[in-house]
Amino acid sequence: MRRLNVGTAVAGGLIGGSIAWFLAHQFLATDNPSGSNQVTILTMVGWAIGFMIGIGAFHGPWCWLMGRDQSHEDEKFLAGDGQGIGRYFRFTTDHKVVGIQYLVVTMVLLGVGGILAMMIRTDLIRPDSGFLSPQVYNSVVGLHGLTMIIATIIMVTGPFGNFIVPIMIGARDMAFPRLNALSLWLIVAFVPVLFSAAVLGGIPTGWSGYAPLSDQAPPGMDAYLTAIVIFAISSAIAGANITTTILTMRARGMTWNRTPIFVWGTLASVGLAIPAFPMFMGSMVLLGVDRTVGGQFYVASGGGSPWLYANLFWLMGHPEVYVIVIPAVAALMELTPVFARKPLFNYTAAVLSIVGIVGLSIMVWAHHMYASGWAPDLNGPFMLTTELISIPTGIIFLVVLGTIWRGRIWTTLPMMSTYAMLWNFIIGGVTGIYLSDVPADYDLHGSMFVTAHFHYTLMGAGLTGAIGALTYWFPKMTGRMLDRRAGFASFWLVQIGFNVTFLSMFAAGLAGQPRRVEHYDSLFGVANLVSSLGAYVIGLGMLILLYAVVSSWRRGPLAPANPWGSKTLEWTVPNPIPLENFEVLPVVIADPYGYGEGDLRVPVPRAPAPAEAVAGAATGADGATTPTGAVMTRTDAPPIPEQERP
Amino acid sequence: MTAPTFGARARAWSRRAEVRGVFLIWVVLTALLCLFSFVPARLMGAPASPTKQAVETTMTLFTLAASPVAAFVWAIAIYSLVRWRHRGKQAPTEDGPAIRTNTPASALWVVVSSVLCLFLLVWGFVEVQAVATSASASDAMVVDVTGQQWVWTFSYPQEGNLESDQLYLPVNRPVIFHVTSKDVIHSFWVVQMGIKVDANPGETTQTSVTPDRLGRFDIRCAELCGLLHADMETSVHVVSPTDFRSWLRSNGGPG
Repeated sequence: MRRLNVGTAVAGGLIGGSIAWFLAHQFLATDNPSGSNQVTILTMVGWAIGFMIGIGAFHGPWCWLMGRDQSHEDEKFLAGDGQGIGRYFRFTTDHKVVGIQYLVVTMVLLGVGGILAMMIRTDLIRPDSGFLSPQVYNSVVGLHGLTMIIATIIMVTGPFGNFIVPIMIGARDMAFPRLNALSLWLIVAFVPVLFSAAVLGGIPTGWSGYAPLSDQAPPGMDAYLTAIVIFAISSAIAGANITTTILTMRARGMTWNRTPIFVWGTLASVGLAIPAFPMFMGSMVLLGVDRTVGGQFYVASGGGSPWLYANLFWLMGHPEVYVIVIPAVAALMELTPVFARKPLFNYTAAVLSIVGIVGLSIMVWAHHMYASGWAPDLNGPFMLTTELISIPTGIIFLVVLGTIWRGRIWTTLPMMSTYAMLWNFIIGGVTGIYLSDVPADYDLHGSMFVTAHFHYTLMGAGLTGAIGALTYWFPKMTGRMLDRRAGFASFWLVQIGFNVTFLSMFAAGLAGQPRRVEHYDSLFGVANLVSSLGAYVIGLGMLILLYAVVSSWRRGPLAPANPWGSKTLEWTVPNPIPLENFEVLPVVIADPYGYGEGDLRVPVPRAPAPAEAVAGAATGADGATTPTGAVMTRTDAPPIPEQERP
Repeated sequence: MTAPTFGARARAWSRRAEVRGVFLIWVVLTALLCLFSFVPARLMGAPASPTKQAVETTMTLFTLAASPVAAFVWAIAIYSLVRWRHRGKQAPTEDGPAIRTNTPASALWVVVSSVLCLFLLVWGFVEVQAVATSASASDAMVVDVTGQQWVWTFSYPQEGNLESDQLYLPVNRPVIFHVTSKDVIHSFWVVQMGIKVDANPGETTQTSVTPDRLGRFDIRCAELCGLLHADMETSVHVVSPTDFRSWLRSNGGPG
């Protein structure tokens, strides 16, 4: 167990894949398409199982099966105790390690997806550039879409849900630390499977993988469906783990109305993922049956229906956009009070808006299918549910605007992301309203207008929120301050480039350019040229962000425990954060938004709290001699009632 | 509380600097956005059917309705940034006012957004109804549309199943399209007429339109359908009824 790491995992994966490939060639007929699909899927599954064995994911269950248990030393080793950098390359259970691993995986996925985006925009820079062949172009579009969707699904709840949330709720680790590591390494096993599609004939279907085009696609589609199955298992495990952690492991006194809004957002996101992604997995299993043994689930001539796939896909696909956006926006709602030095405005409404969006989001899927011809009579009801979402979404704006109103606006990088979200998400939301209108959607569906719209929501609000979260929690996660100047340069390049790219894409869509075309009418030439130039500016900005993150991580100035004067629990632990986070578990006596209310909530530092933590609380905006803004106290004894009542 | 007290409070409120500042920015931004509201319809080009005309009206109307909302959000964002921005690299030394909530403001926000949502819904349902009515016109011409990788084929069942790879339509006569596919999903999009429906293998879907402008317009596939998806486009020619008859004759159809 102690010698296993990512190297043995890759070796195990290659061995497992080779064995599966060899056996499949021995026993299966491979001279027809479904035969080669069978070989591809079996090889991929062999890789995944071998990889997970190689990383040691099954070590614990194997020990228990053999009637042995892991020793305390084994457990400490698994948690990465005293291992330095090596623990990031192992099956490590410490939630902070898993959070960093998720962050790196997310950045790799975003990087690859971004390079693919640059290829798309380069091809589209002129009406007939011929930069990519149609086959390569379609494949690049599919891989870009799927890579970015996966990256954005995990970009907040992966790094920050794992690293920050347990500390934020006052827990020592996740509820199921081994499952946590399992979900991360399944994602790592998933990445090569997904990208192998590029050399297996590509994904010619776009990320939506519509059948029956996916039935006739080359073996790249088998990589797609196997990758999705692996991802769905990972997200189900992560969802169950994070949900359980939040439901059961909040610190004493952290009642639901004292729970930070980011915790609510994370809970909503992973809770929504639990019903959503198994739907995707199910649709992929059916596709696999279609492709390998002639199942005909989606083939009309065999009695199947393409609409079955579309429904299963969008039953996942619409909740999925809220899986992406809710935690990102919740992160911005979490950090806005810190930089406005004011309580979160109308906390109850903020929670209700998240709950309302979650509830409605599972009832809107067929608004992606207005023009499909499936059940036209349902278009009206789906328009109703879709447009109702504008009400809870509007409340998010109320909360953010109410929080910055009359605040002391401290325009740090995280706060700039909040402002960028206020700009982008309005545009994304309003264009979504056009698309929710059935007759307008009959015209706009499948055009570049849709592409621009969902980039405004997923990138303009989602990715901007994730970058806000990264810049906010960077000092806590790495122990160092992020390079402010590079961060500023990156922010402006990304946001200006983003708006140039996608505003002109709206214009191309309105003028009638379809999505996912490799060349187009010269009528759309100007809009596409501008869009491509904007995309390069985004790319440059992202490279600068990458530079800022890497260089600050390595050599940035050391961060104090609480550089922003925040009041949530994660800022009370010292840098670097010790294993199991808290020496004594905190007891929460108020919500973390008591800015301007310092005199009401005097903390009682009875226990020998770490010096940095107390100092951190005192660096809050109060600037008074007493650490008045802090809302939590640390004690090793059960709290005395009068401490709980300020 | 009596009415004068409320009026006095409202007057005092309206004299506050932040209220006046936000109001001023809001008015300016709303005016700019209202001017912008006519841009989307212009980008969509001249409509070739009442359906497209209605879509463009919707776009303009929704943009007009969204203008004060977007302007309000951005006005508060801009004003707060200009007026209350903390300058300097260190953390602000004092907190803002401890405003936890404001029930009238929250209630007003929810009421206004609900009213706007209701407006969108009523408008949408009225439009949907109009589309449904136009589809049942009795003098309509039927055109069967078949998509296959990567061409469109049109046939006229009322004209002896005449087949063509370009669509010819007489002006001002309702048309009902019965759309299907031979292989994968395509999407039949007549761009300047604002109609679209998927062509599904094994199913027939329907859409309808009344072209009201002479000319040549674009039909594009709007659902990724494989290798040459980008090339799956053709033209629709809207011609006078006499020209339509002569086109039918010259292509072997019944005169």
